[in-house]
Amino acid sequence: MQREVGTLPLAPALRARLAAAGFQTAQELLDTGPCGLSKEVGISREEALEALQVVRQECHGDAARTAGRSGATRKCTALELLEEEQTQGFIITFCSALDNILGGGVQLTKITEICGAPGVGKTQLCMQLAVDVQIPECFGGVAGEAVFIDTEGSFMVDRVVDIAAACVQHCHLIAEAQQEEDLRKALETFSLENILSHIYYFRCRDYTELLAQVYLLPEFLSEHSKVRLVVIDGIAFPFRHDFEDLSLRTRLLNGLAQQLIIIANDHRSAVVLTNQMTTRIGQSQSTLVPALGESWGHAATVRLIFHWDNSQRLATLYKSPSQKESTIAYHITSHGFRDVQPPAVTQSSGGTELNPRKRPRTEEEKQ
Amino acid sequence: MAAKKLRRAQLSQEMCERLSRYQITTCQDFLCLSLLELMKVTGQSYYEVQKLLCKVSRACAPKMQTAYEMKLRKSVSPSSAFLSTTLHSLDRVLHGGVPCGSLTEITSPPGCGKTQFCIMLSVLATLPVSMGGLDGAVIYIDTESAFSAERLIEIAASRFPTYFDSNEKLLCMTRSIHLYRELTCCCVLKRIMSLEEEIISKKVKLVIIDSVASVVRKEFDTKLQGNLAERSNFLTRGASVLKYLAEEFSIPV
Repeated sequence: MQREVGTLPLAPALRARLAAAGFQTAQELLDTGPCGLSKEVGISREEALEALQVVRQECHGDAARTAGRSGATRKCTALELLEEEQTQGFIITFCSALDNILGGGVQLTKITEICGAPGVGKTQLCMQLAVDVQIPECFGGVAGEAVFIDTEGSFMVDRVVDIAAACVQHCHLIAEAQQEEDLRKALETFSLENILSHIYYFRCRDYTELLAQVYLLPEFLSEHSKVRLVVIDGIAFPFRHDFEDLSLRTRLLNGLAQQLIIIANDHRSAVVLTNQMTTRIGQSQSTLVPALGESWGHAATVRLIFHWDNSQRLATLYKSPSQKESTIAYHITSHGFRDVQPPAVTQSSGGTELNPRKRPRTEEEKQ
Repeated sequence: MAAKKLRRAQLSQEMCERLSRYQITTCQDFLCLSLLELMKVTGQSYYEVQKLLCKVSRACAPKMQTAYEMKLRKSVSPSSAFLSTTLHSLDRVLHGGVPCGSLTEITSPPGCGKTQFCIMLSVLATLPVSMGGLDGAVIYIDTESAFSAERLIEIAASRFPTYFDSNEKLLCMTRSIHLYRELTCCCVLKRIMSLEEEIISKKVKLVIIDSVASVVRKEFDTKLQGNLAERSNFLTRGASVLKYLAEEFSIPV
C-alpha cells in the first residue's frame, strides 16, 4: 500500500504525470478515486480508471504474495522441497551409467546442457530423451510429451522411428517377463504412432524465431499441459554468426536463460539444451570449451560434456549441484543411446540381446 | 522471417510509426529489446507490452508439426528421399544414398576423387527418376576451376551408354548443368544468397560446391588476429543459407 508510484507498471508518460502532480504512494492514488485523478492529472476518466485497476491488481498481488500463496516468489520450507524432489521423476536415458552419474536421469524442473564436438551424439541423446519422456509411469517413466525446438536441422524422423521402436520393444519384453495386467494396458497406448504424435517439433531458422518461440512457449505449455520435456537442439548455432554486438548477444542469452528457468519451474518440465564447442587459445595450448562464453555457463544447472577418446565416446558431468564430477563411456547403436558392453557377461532381461541394455529399474522390478 | 516488417505483424499503424521513430521497423529489432526498453519506446504499460510481444512473436514463430506428421509426409514420397550414388556399398552405408533436404560434406586428402565424385553426381541428378536420378538441373559452384566438361561427357557416355546414345541427349544433359566459377569468399557468399531464385527458375535438383575449404583457406590466414572470427562468420552464414535451401526445396546439397 505504501508502494511508490514510480514502481507501478503503468505507462511511463502516465507515471511522469502522476509524479509531477505530486502523488507518491499507491495508497494516495486509490484514495483519490478516478474522477479526482482525472481532474488533477489532466487525463480522461477512462484512463484514470484503467490506471487505478492496474494499481489495485498490483497491490492485491503484493498482499497475496506476502500471505505466502503461490505467485512469483514462492515460500516453502526445505522439508517441503525435499519431499517434492524425492517424488520427482527422472527422464532415463537408457544408458544406466549416464543415469547413475546424473543421479537417476535428466531431472525435471532443471536446465541440463549438453556440450560436445560435432558428431559426438548430442542430437541422438535429445531424440532418445524425447522418446523416453513418454514411457508410462508403471515402467518407471514420466509419461509426458516433448517439445523439440530445432535450430540446426539435424532432426531425422527415421532415426526417431528406430529409437521409438526399440523402446517399445524393450517395454514389451519387460511386460512379458512381469506378466502384470496394468503393464499390458499401459502398453496399448504406448505405440509408435502415439510416441511420434506427442513430439511437437519447431524449426527455428534464426535467433529471432527462437526468441519468438520461447516467448510463446508458456502459452503452448499451458495448452499442452502434459509436456514434460523441452529440448532446444543447437542453442549456440543461431547466436554464433551475424552478431557484431556481443553485449546484445549476452543480454539476449541471459533473457532466454531466465525465461527457460521460469518455464522449467512453472510447468515442472525438464529443459535440455545442446551447445557447441569452441577453441580457447591459451598461452601455449588450445583447449575445447563450451561455446557462448563464460556468462552462459551460469544458465544451466547441470552440464554434460561429450567428447572422444580415440574411438570411444565419453560423457563427463561437468557441473551439477548434487552429483560429483565423473566420466563414463557410452555407445550409440541402431537402437539409440546405450551402455558400452561390459567385459564380463551379465544376465539381462531378454536373454541374449544384440545390444546389452541395463536399466537399474528393471532389476528393482524383477526383485 | 526475422526481417518481417512490424506493419505486417498486425500492429496498429500509429504504433508502427512511433516505433519507426526509434528505428525499430522489423520483428528482429522489436524482440531484441528488453521489457523496460519496450515500455519506454511504446509508452504502454507492462501488461500491454507483454500482449504486444505475444503478437509480434506469433508473427515470426515457426509452425508446429508433430513428428508423426513429418513421418507421414516422408512415407508418402519415399523415392525422393535419397539420390542414389550407384555405388552399392556406399548406398547401403548411407541408407539409400545422398539424402535430400540436408547438407552432405565430402572430405579427403587431395587427389582422392572428390571432384570426380561430384561430376558423377551431377550426371546422376540429370537422369530421369526411373533410372534413379532426380530429373532436374544441377548448380555447380566451382572454386578451384577443376570442372572439366569433357570428363563429364566421358563419364556419361561410358556409364550409361544405352541412355546417352545420341549426341543430342549428351548436349541436353550438359545444358542442364549450370557452372559458376567463383574465386573469392564474398563472391561465393553472394552466389549462395542468389541461389534461391535460380533453383526455382531452373528447376534445380542438386547443388554442389567444390570446394568450400580451398577458397576459405586462401583468404583467411588463421594466424592473423580477428580472421578466425571472420572466417567462422562467413562459414556459418553460408552454411545456414545452404541448410535453408536444402530443406525448403528438399534437394541434396
